[in-house]
Amino acid sequence: MSYQQMAVPPRSAHLWRYTPWPRVHPTKVEEVPQADGIQFSIEGQDANAFQRASDSDEIARVFLDELGGTSYRLDIKGNGQVIHVRARASGHIAVGHLNLNVKGDVTVLLHLTGEAGWCGLHITGNVNPNGNLGYGFINELDANTKLLRCEDWLVERDASLESATLSVGGFNCKSDLRTTLNGTGSSIRQAITAHGQGARHDDHHIEIHHLHGHTDSDLVTNAACSGSSHFVATGLLTIAEGADGSDAGQVFRNLLLSEKARAEAIPELEVLADDVSAAHGAASAPIDPSQLHYLMSRGLSREESESMIVNGFLIDAFSNLKNEALTEQVRTRLTVHLECELKR
Amino acid sequence: MSEEALEAVGDYRYGFHDPENATIRFDKGLSEQVVRDISALKDEPQWMTDMRVKAYRHFEERAMPDWGNCNLLESINFENVTYFLRSSDQTEKNWDDVPDDIKNTFDRLGIPEAEQKWLGGVTAQYESEAVYHSIREDLEEQGVIFLDMDTGLKTHPELVKKFFGTVVPHSDNKFSALNTAVWSGGSFIYVPKGVHVEMPVQAYFRINAKNMGQFERTLIIADEGSSIHYVEGCTAPSYSTDSLHSAVVELIAMEGAKIRYSTVQNWSNNVYNLVTKRGVAHKNATVEWVDGNIGSKLTMKYPSVLLKGEGAHAEVISVAYAGDGQHQDAGAKVHHLAPNTTSNILSKSISKNGGRSSYRGMLQVMPKATGCRSKVVCDALILDDASRSDTYPTMEIGNATADLEHEASVSKVSSDQLFYLMSRGFTEEEAMGLIVNGFFEPFTRELPMEYAVELNKLLELEMEGSIG
Repeated sequence: MSYQQMAVPPRSAHLWRYTPWPRVHPTKVEEVPQADGIQFSIEGQDANAFQRASDSDEIARVFLDELGGTSYRLDIKGNGQVIHVRARASGHIAVGHLNLNVKGDVTVLLHLTGEAGWCGLHITGNVNPNGNLGYGFINELDANTKLLRCEDWLVERDASLESATLSVGGFNCKSDLRTTLNGTGSSIRQAITAHGQGARHDDHHIEIHHLHGHTDSDLVTNAACSGSSHFVATGLLTIAEGADGSDAGQVFRNLLLSEKARAEAIPELEVLADDVSAAHGAASAPIDPSQLHYLMSRGLSREESESMIVNGFLIDAFSNLKNEALTEQVRTRLTVHLECELKR
Repeated sequence: MSEEALEAVGDYRYGFHDPENATIRFDKGLSEQVVRDISALKDEPQWMTDMRVKAYRHFEERAMPDWGNCNLLESINFENVTYFLRSSDQTEKNWDDVPDDIKNTFDRLGIPEAEQKWLGGVTAQYESEAVYHSIREDLEEQGVIFLDMDTGLKTHPELVKKFFGTVVPHSDNKFSALNTAVWSGGSFIYVPKGVHVEMPVQAYFRINAKNMGQFERTLIIADEGSSIHYVEGCTAPSYSTDSLHSAVVELIAMEGAKIRYSTVQNWSNNVYNLVTKRGVAHKNATVEWVDGNIGSKLTMKYPSVLLKGEGAHAEVISVAYAGDGQHQDAGAKVHHLAPNTTSNILSKSISKNGGRSSYRGMLQVMPKATGCRSKVVCDALILDDASRSDTYPTMEIGNATADLEHEASVSKVSSDQLFYLMSRGFTEEEAMGLIVNGFFEPFTRELPMEYAVELNKLLELEMEGSIG
């Protein structure tokens, strides 16, 4: 079905409850406007033009597909290397598609910047049997850019995906991240940190599907919101019938730093197998005054103390990840971002 | 397990039914005329008739919910339901005056015995209306009003008019509209300022007829500094065709008041149980829902509390058991509207023999509600690989000073626990029963003793045959 034949999804569908589709769309909701391509610069890996063949019937994916833009495919034979992908979104509307086919061990760091009015990015990937992918996504878009980001990952037998997201750029961001654990012994560790400033709106929807037994997933989402920013995290964790021995956990934490900041957390679970361990948790609180007092009594200003606490809180989301190249990169970018914020 | 319990295995314990001896029975189906006829039959004031008709029109216009178990919801045939059935011409104050067949039913359910022993008052509703009602004299002397809703409307019209539909308006959802249109029976309680009703009062709801719809309406008002504990039980016979139970319960706790509402719902597995329960807690007031869901085909019930006054507190403890062919879609909703309000939600569920249990919750903190605290815990046990458990919690936090926690887990019975108990001489089945009763313990300890014992017995029956 083409985009224009599709109905606008209702807000009762929780994927679109807090960031309805008309708010995500770059122009009038019935239009498929002209789009430029995102400029990709890929270090340490050849990339091939990629013929997209999406079979999705999900509106955001169909829309990105029809917008076109640049498309690259990376066939990676991993030997422990780190691949840097720099993506720059410029112009009115910029769209890009990236497909990763991973064998062996590799780390891919995608750094998204640019001042486009609207940016659309669709990343698809396949981690082949026994492969290990460390994947970092750093969103440092201009503060006036709108972002629509979709990701679809397939993790095969005995393969693992470690995914880290640092979301600090853009004005109105919608991310829809889906992972399917498609083979026995496959696993995903996913960490998402977001920092909301001003009126920034950041909505993450994360789906993890355990289709086979003895699959593991671990999701941690930490968000700190200041100003009148709004952070949304909706999670859907499913364990299919017969996927016994699966272990799944989701934690959503929000730190609210100002009176007008808002946060929503909806960690959903659907479990159809009995021999599993599935848990989720969500917490939301202001900064602990005793922590603030401790740091200020040691000579730091209130702003410095708050920034340090926020840094510690957000970095903690990455503590379950094992890939050092990945965690070092996202931690560094987070610290730089918070220091820049402090100096403003 | 006792012989009596064994006899009931494989059968719903309250599945017996008596011959129908209706004095008035409406034809099946719903229309504006049916709504007007119910109102006319009850000789209601014009404002209530108007409210019913308005609600009926809203029900007709409103679409079915597009969430939850849509397939089962869509299978409800509203034209195949009897909306009003009167079994007795009046509400009696003495058990001896209740018609024999109805009295036998309640005798078998143990209601008169319970009343004598430990209740402050009883309402027994059979089909659409209350057939028996009594309250202890000392409570009556203190000004406590405990009536069935129809009598409440007749004798205290001003009080009913002031509060009816203020907590759950007819436009809240499709089923609250249906209830407002065709409500009949239920309880009306008013506790005056400063009066503490020490013994629980109880209402017992029984559906006896086939394809019957029961739409009771309960309104409880606890005035400043008062307190009351209301207990509700529900059963129905097992028929091959479905019945519909769609109640609305409104609780209003004024400043410093406390209302506890306990339910053990044990409808037979052919009943759709689609209930709207909501309370308002004013300054420093407490509303507590203790909610047990054992029976029914589909339950959709999310007891809610609006924390409207500073310092108000909400407590929701809910358990659900989903067996073969059952879907228990239950949960809790708490809306923190005022500063320094607190809430606690504990949900426990068990799925077995292909049953499905879902926790659906909402925790909302409004921008002006500073200093709120809340904790939500939901635990689920899945006892076999044909069953399913879902958790759909929502947290909307609009104030930075809120301190909220949510945690949930889904697991099977731990083999360590089973091994421990079996090594001490229990059979696997007994060990499983003990673990399940222990799992529900935070709920049962909040129930009056007799209810807790009954619930444990029920669970024991439901767990029968769960091993192997």
